[in-house]
Amino acid sequence: MIDERDAVIEAVRGRLRASVADQADPRAVARILSAAFAAPAPSRWRRWLDAWHLPVMSRVGAAVVAVIALAAGFVARGVLPNRAPVDPMAVTGEFPIPVTPASDPRSGAVATQFVFEAPAAQSVALVGDFNGWVPTAAPLVRLRSGVWTVTVPLMPGRHVYAFLVDGARSMPTTADRAPW
Amino acid sequence: MSSSPPSSPIDPSLPLRAKGGDRQAFAQLVELCYPRSLRFALHMVGNREDAEEAVQDTFVRVYHHLGRFRDDGRFEPWLFRILANRCRTVLAKRRRHAEVIQYGDVPDHGAPTMVEGPDWMEEIHKVLATLPVEQREAFLLHHVEELAYEEIAAVTGVKLSALRMRVKRACDLLRVRLAEVRRDDR
Repeated sequence: MIDERDAVIEAVRGRLRASVADQADPRAVARILSAAFAAPAPSRWRRWLDAWHLPVMSRVGAAVVAVIALAAGFVARGVLPNRAPVDPMAVTGEFPIPVTPASDPRSGAVATQFVFEAPAAQSVALVGDFNGWVPTAAPLVRLRSGVWTVTVPLMPGRHVYAFLVDGARSMPTTADRAPW
Repeated sequence: MSSSPPSSPIDPSLPLRAKGGDRQAFAQLVELCYPRSLRFALHMVGNREDAEEAVQDTFVRVYHHLGRFRDDGRFEPWLFRILANRCRTVLAKRRRHAEVIQYGDVPDHGAPTMVEGPDWMEEIHKVLATLPVEQREAFLLHHVEELAYEEIAAVTGVKLSALRMRVKRACDLLRVRLAEVRRDDR
C-alpha cells in the first residue's frame, strides 16, 4: 500500500509530532495579536475582492484581465499611453501586508507589553498617562490561560498606569497611585 | 509519556466570529492553532527564528484576509495554505540547501520509537532537511499534521496522485537516508 506507515515512518512521525509543546506560548500569542491588530487594514480594493469569495488566482486573473481590458480600451481611444497596467504584485498573487511594529524608531516609542492575570474577569483595560486614562483606549485581549495582554507603544521613561477589571480599578502593586 | 498539539477540528464558529470582527475569537484561534503551525513551520524551515516569523506573518495575513475565508470551509487547510506559502518564501530566500538544524529550546517529549539513539531526533531533522521541499511539505502535512489528501490538495494546489507520490517518495528517502546515517555512525 502506497501510504503504509512502517516502523521507521511511525517512529519519525511520532518524534516530529511530539517536538513542540501542546500549549501555545502566551508571549508568542501576544506578539502575534499585537502585530495583527497593529497592521494596517487591507485596502478597500482588497476587501472588495475578498467579499466575492473567489479563489485567489481566478480573482486575480479576473482583476488583471479587467485592468488590461480597461487600459486597452483607453489606449485604443488615445487616453492612455501604451504601457503595461498590470501590478506585478497582483500577477504573482503576493499581497504583502506591511506590519507596522508597535515600536516606532522615528518617535522613539517602544513596544511595551502589559500582562494581567484575571481568569474570572469579563473585561480588562489598560489606562494610564499615555492614553489619557481613557477606559476604551487599550483593551486587553484574553488568552485561554486566563491571562490578559496588550502591547502599546510607550516613550521611554516612567509612566503611571492602572488596569480596569470589569470596570473597577486595579492598581499594580509597584506603581504610583493614579490621579483618580 | 509523549504529548502533541491537538489535531481535533476547530470549532467552526470561531473563524466566523473572527471574520465578523470578534478579536477574542481570533485570539482563541491563534492559541489553538499556534502549536501545530509552529511545528509545521519548524520542520519546514529548520530553525525556530524563521519558523516563528513565518507563523506570525501567517496569522497577520489570516487576520487581514478573513474576508476571503469561506463560511462553509474548514479553517485548518486554509491556514496551512497560507503558512505553507510563507514557509516556501522563507526557503526560497535561502542560498544554502543543506541546513544544520538547531533545536536548542524545543522540548523533546521522548515519543516512543523503534530505533532509539541519543541523536535520533537530530538525525531525523537533518535527513528531513535534505528532502526536496515539496516532498517534505507533503510528508509533514499528511503524516505529522494529519491532513487528508484532499485537504493537502487544497493547501498546495497539487493533484491527489502527485501528492501521494510525493509522500511515498519522502517516506522512501527518509528510510534510506536514516539507514545511511545510522550506518555511518557505527
